[in-house]
Formats: sequence, C-alpha cells, structure tokens
Amino acid sequence: MAANYWASTQYRHWLFSREKLTEIREGFRARDQTAHSQFPLPDQRLLNIYFSQQLIKLGKRMSTRQQALATAQIYIKRFYTKNEIRHTNPYLVATTAFYLACKMEECPQHIRYVVGEARGLWPEFIAPDVSKLGECEFMLISEMSSQLIVHHPYRTLSELQPELALTSDEVALAWSVINDHYLTDLPLLHPPHVIAVMTIIVAIVFKPSQSSFHGSAAPLAGAMRDGGMNILAALGDRGGAGPPARIQKLISWLADSEVDIRAVIECTQELVSLYEVWEQYSEKHCKELLGRVVKSKSLDK
Amino acid sequence: MDITNNTPLRTASSSSTTRDPIPQIVSPKFFLFPTHSQPRPTVVSASSAMDKQPSSFQQLEKLGEGTYATVFKGRNRQTGELVALKEIHLDSEEGTPSTAIREISLMKELKHESIVSLHDVIHTENKLMLVFEYMDKDLKKYMDTRPDRGQLDQATIKSFMHQLLKGIAFCHENRVLHRDLKPQNLLINKKGQLKLGDFGLARAFGIPVNTFSNEVVTLWYRAPDVLLGSRTYNTSIDIWSAGCIMAELYTGRPLFPGTTNEDQLQKIFRLMGTPSERSWPGISQLPEYKPNFHVYPTNDLGVILPQIDPLGLDLLNRMLQLRPEMRVSAHDALQHPWFHDLPQLQAQLQQQQQQQQHQMAGSYGGMIPPQQAY
Repeated sequence: MAANYWASTQYRHWLFSREKLTEIREGFRARDQTAHSQFPLPDQRLLNIYFSQQLIKLGKRMSTRQQALATAQIYIKRFYTKNEIRHTNPYLVATTAFYLACKMEECPQHIRYVVGEARGLWPEFIAPDVSKLGECEFMLISEMSSQLIVHHPYRTLSELQPELALTSDEVALAWSVINDHYLTDLPLLHPPHVIAVMTIIVAIVFKPSQSSFHGSAAPLAGAMRDGGMNILAALGDRGGAGPPARIQKLISWLADSEVDIRAVIECTQELVSLYEVWEQYSEKHCKELLGRVVKSKSLDK
Repeated sequence: MDITNNTPLRTASSSSTTRDPIPQIVSPKFFLFPTHSQPRPTVVSASSAMDKQPSSFQQLEKLGEGTYATVFKGRNRQTGELVALKEIHLDSEEGTPSTAIREISLMKELKHESIVSLHDVIHTENKLMLVFEYMDKDLKKYMDTRPDRGQLDQATIKSFMHQLLKGIAFCHENRVLHRDLKPQNLLINKKGQLKLGDFGLARAFGIPVNTFSNEVVTLWYRAPDVLLGSRTYNTSIDIWSAGCIMAELYTGRPLFPGTTNEDQLQKIFRLMGTPSERSWPGISQLPEYKPNFHVYPTNDLGVILPQIDPLGLDLLNRMLQLRPEMRVSAHDALQHPWFHDLPQLQAQLQQQQQQQQHQMAGSYGGMIPPQQAY
C-alpha cells in the first residue's frame, strides 16, 4: 500500500496535529486525575524507550524483522491515543501489538510461543492463558478500526538511496535514526517521507565519523546540538555560501522536492530533544512505576 | 462489562429495541479496571466503522462457507440495502485469523469500483462480522447458469476482462498482490459489473519480496513460476491467473485443470511448450525445476480457442507468458487494442441486459446460488 500514502487510512485517520495529541492526553488526565496523581509515570518518550527495548528483547528471541517491531510500536501509539495507559496492562498491550504486527508483516508467530516468550521476560505481568492475548488482539484491532497497514519511512529511504547517492554508512545511520523516531510522537505527527528525509539529512550532515554511534545516542545528540542547527538554518537560506558541496546538493534537491522543510526541521528538533531526554533514562525506574500501575489494579490477572 | 446483544442477528424481532449506544458492541475490556467502580473513561471512542451493530442487519440465507468464515446474505434494516455478511470464526489458538486480518486491513485501504467494497467491520464479544456490498453471484456460478456450458459472448467477455484488469491494475498500483484470482473470487451483479473479492490471501508487497509463501493461488490459475517454487514472484502472478480466466470465459472450461503441482506444470507445458534455460534464463535454478521435464512444442492457443479473434488472442498470449517478466502488466493490458471497441460493445450489452432483467425479474427470489468469494 505504500504507493499511495495520501489515500491511506494512516494519512486519513492516524495523523494528528501536535495540539490534537496534547488535547487527547490532557483529556485522559482530566478524566482520571486520581490515577494520574497516584501513579506518576516517566516522560512518554522514556516509556517508549522502555517498551521499545522490551520489544526488541521479545523480538530477538523469535528473530523478528525490524519492520514488525516498528509496526508494533505504531500500534501501541495508536492504542494509547484511545486509552489511558494507567487503565491497561502495558505489557499485555505490547505483547499483543507484537503478535498482531508479526501477522501483518508476514512473519507470524504462534500464539503459545509468543505468550511463552513474553512470560519468560515478564512473568509477573503476563498470564499463561493464551486466550487473553487473543482477546486483547481483538480489542486492539477494534480500537484501530481495523486500520492495520502501516507506512514506514524505511521504504522511502530505500527509494531515495540511489537518487541521492547515499553511501551504505549513510543509509545505516539514517536507518537507525528511523528506528529512534518510533520513540517519539513523530510517527503520529508527520508522514513517513518527511521522517525519511529528516533521517537522510541527519545522516549526511552529521556523518558519523566514528563507528561508535550504535548503542549510544549521545555523540549524535551533541553534534546535532552544536553544529547542526546552523546547517539546518542554511536549508532555509539557499544563497548562503557556507555548506560543503554534498550538503549544498542535498539542499537544492530538497528545494525541488516539495518536501515540507519546516516539518523536517521540526522533526530534527524533536529527535534532538529525544536524545537529551534519553540521558535520564533508567530502565529500573520505568519498570518500577509501570509495575505499580499494573499491580495496584490487578490488571495482570 | 455485560455484552447483551451479540446474537440478535438471527432474530429479526430483536432489532428495533436493541439499538443501544456504541459501548455495548466492543469486545470485553478484560484488562481495564476489572474491579473498577468509577465511571469508565470513554475508551470506546466512536471509530466510525465499528459503531454499527450486528442487529442493524437482518440476516437472510446462507450464501456459502469458507475456510475461516461463513457468508450470509443480509439486509440493512434502515436502508433496506442488501449486503453480504461474512462472519469470521475466532479460534482461541490463533486469535483473529491472519487471512481475516489481511483481508480487512487491505479492504480498508482499497476502494475501487472493480473491487468489492467493505462497508463495515462489526466486532462483538466473540465474533467478527464483515459487511460487504452485495453481489449477485460469483463468476463460476454465473457461467454455470449460462447456456452453452458457460461460454460467454464476446461483448460480455471483453467487459468482464476489462473490469478484471482494472481491479488488478488498481491493486498493483497500490502494491497489493491478490494471489488468489479465480472465477469463484470474481463477483458479478445484475448491472454486469465484475468485482474482485476475497482478499484473504492478498498481501501488500513491502520491502523484501523473497519471503513470500509459495503456498498461494489455487492450482488451476497458478503461474508456472510459482509452481516451479519461485518465492520472488510479483504482480505478474495475478496476470497469469487473469489469462487463465480469459480462456475459460471463451470455452466455459478451466484452461489448465491440474490435479497436482507436477500435473499442473505438465498441463501448462503441453500447451505452452516446455521452457528451457534458453527461453527462460534462470529457470534451472528454481527449486521445482527438473532437467527431465517432458519436452513439448509450443502450441497455438488459437487452436483450442476457435472463438477468439486475433486481437484477443494477442492479448491472451501476452498474459500467458511462461516467463514472469515477459507477461504484460495490468496497466498495459488495459491499453491493448482489443479493448478499443469496448464502448460500442458495452452499449449493445446494456441493451441485452435490460432485456434479460425483464425476463429474470420474476424468478430471482430465493434462487441465488451460494457464493463464497467475499
């Protein structure tokens, strides 16, 4: 379905403005202030990091494709635009999103296997009864109005690789930045091609001189903070003499491409702030706070 | 949460009184606050496609039984519109069947006049109901009810093929492979429209094409590359099926009614000629390729299809190419000169159909044969 994003349900039903997203979340808070004060949770992005890492663990044991993990993360995001996280068992939601995403991306896993693996990782949060996962899947499909096909930026990246003569290092970096963007609200805020262009800019402009990028976002965040914004500023000012030829070429391609530059810059900033927040991440802390939510409501039963 | 109205579909009388608000139809929120006493947050925000209840449809006779679903004829109580209700069985060992998930999610994206349209998806506690537009019968049944063993006239064949190829072209433009085209999956209505149905095996072709399962497409309409075990097939597999269907429209009989994978290949080779590394570079690398395939010469398709005109034969030959990359695309097939006189033929066809409708009007009541293709 990737050929026609503009006619897709993703574009028509699952693209939000930032204001709308805030309104939805404020709505949850207003409706259940007790739960919110009783059960504080970390920054949404830290929770996203936590669940993404949990999903990677789950996926790794079943050797799942990256794209299924990405789809699962989108399902979780969509689900939580309709449901307050404190009223759910997020471990069950994550497992179900994973299970459903595997079906959709044609790497299906047996329900017993998924439940078994999930129980191995989070024994206190996943019940042995497989029908729970089936029921939760049913609900997840329902809450998403059966709109399950997800357009990812990976495809745009692959398509633009020859056009922009990207090196394999650049593609690898852009790819990992795409992986990171699922930790933010960006997939709900921008079309996948805007994200892909953003990751390409990041990859070209902040070319990783050392291969130490993986696993630690700090160097990239630093580079983006310090030097990056000047270059991004140059995107709006084509007459400027500054940037090197490679970047100049990218800038003129962008100008011709009708991609929304403002949106691209916004995405980049979102990513910078993700990397900043990341420094506060503590897996233990997330686990504790989530555990309190689930336990207190006996949602694990 | 008490779900009371998951069965009213069967009883016509329960309809008017059970039109309760949306939350009743949504599956159990089993993990939401089981012991919870505050007012439930409105997690059931009305996603438009989900808010129609089964009871807003009157269930009529059964139309068919598929592997994962039962199809009923139904009527929208409010509008009187006929629909096909595909009831999907849920299995605790599988969750919602993958075929159903694929079909629903693709149908949500694919809206086209040559593709049967999915009006609604209804979730109740324990079943899933897809509401499709109603079509009168499938192409197989349609042919079976025709005189002359199902051979169709030139104008009807051309019109059906044009609509079939339009539907396929739309799928392919949207990166969807149908993978299971056959007369039983093509639906016909009284207006002479033909639409693609049953997307249970369809898939969106995403990045890696080499992970496709080769267990698709009913044997008779299965492309030789798939039969030879290729797992990197693409849009051309649907074109092969369309070619087989075109020939069948002329003769009323399946072109290659094979019984096993080998028999299917043999039937194809006997007519189309046995391919070799020379005519199809790379063929010997395919998993099911045997160097000792019986060598048949290539026959002229026109011999078994005496009714077909030269332009039609040319198009058919372009669709039934053994080598997948030689097969015409749906988009190009639609430009083929064979279709140039379609507007004139369609005008004639309309006249015929009006006459037919007059004749059929009286006898249509309960006579609609079962259809499975939703």
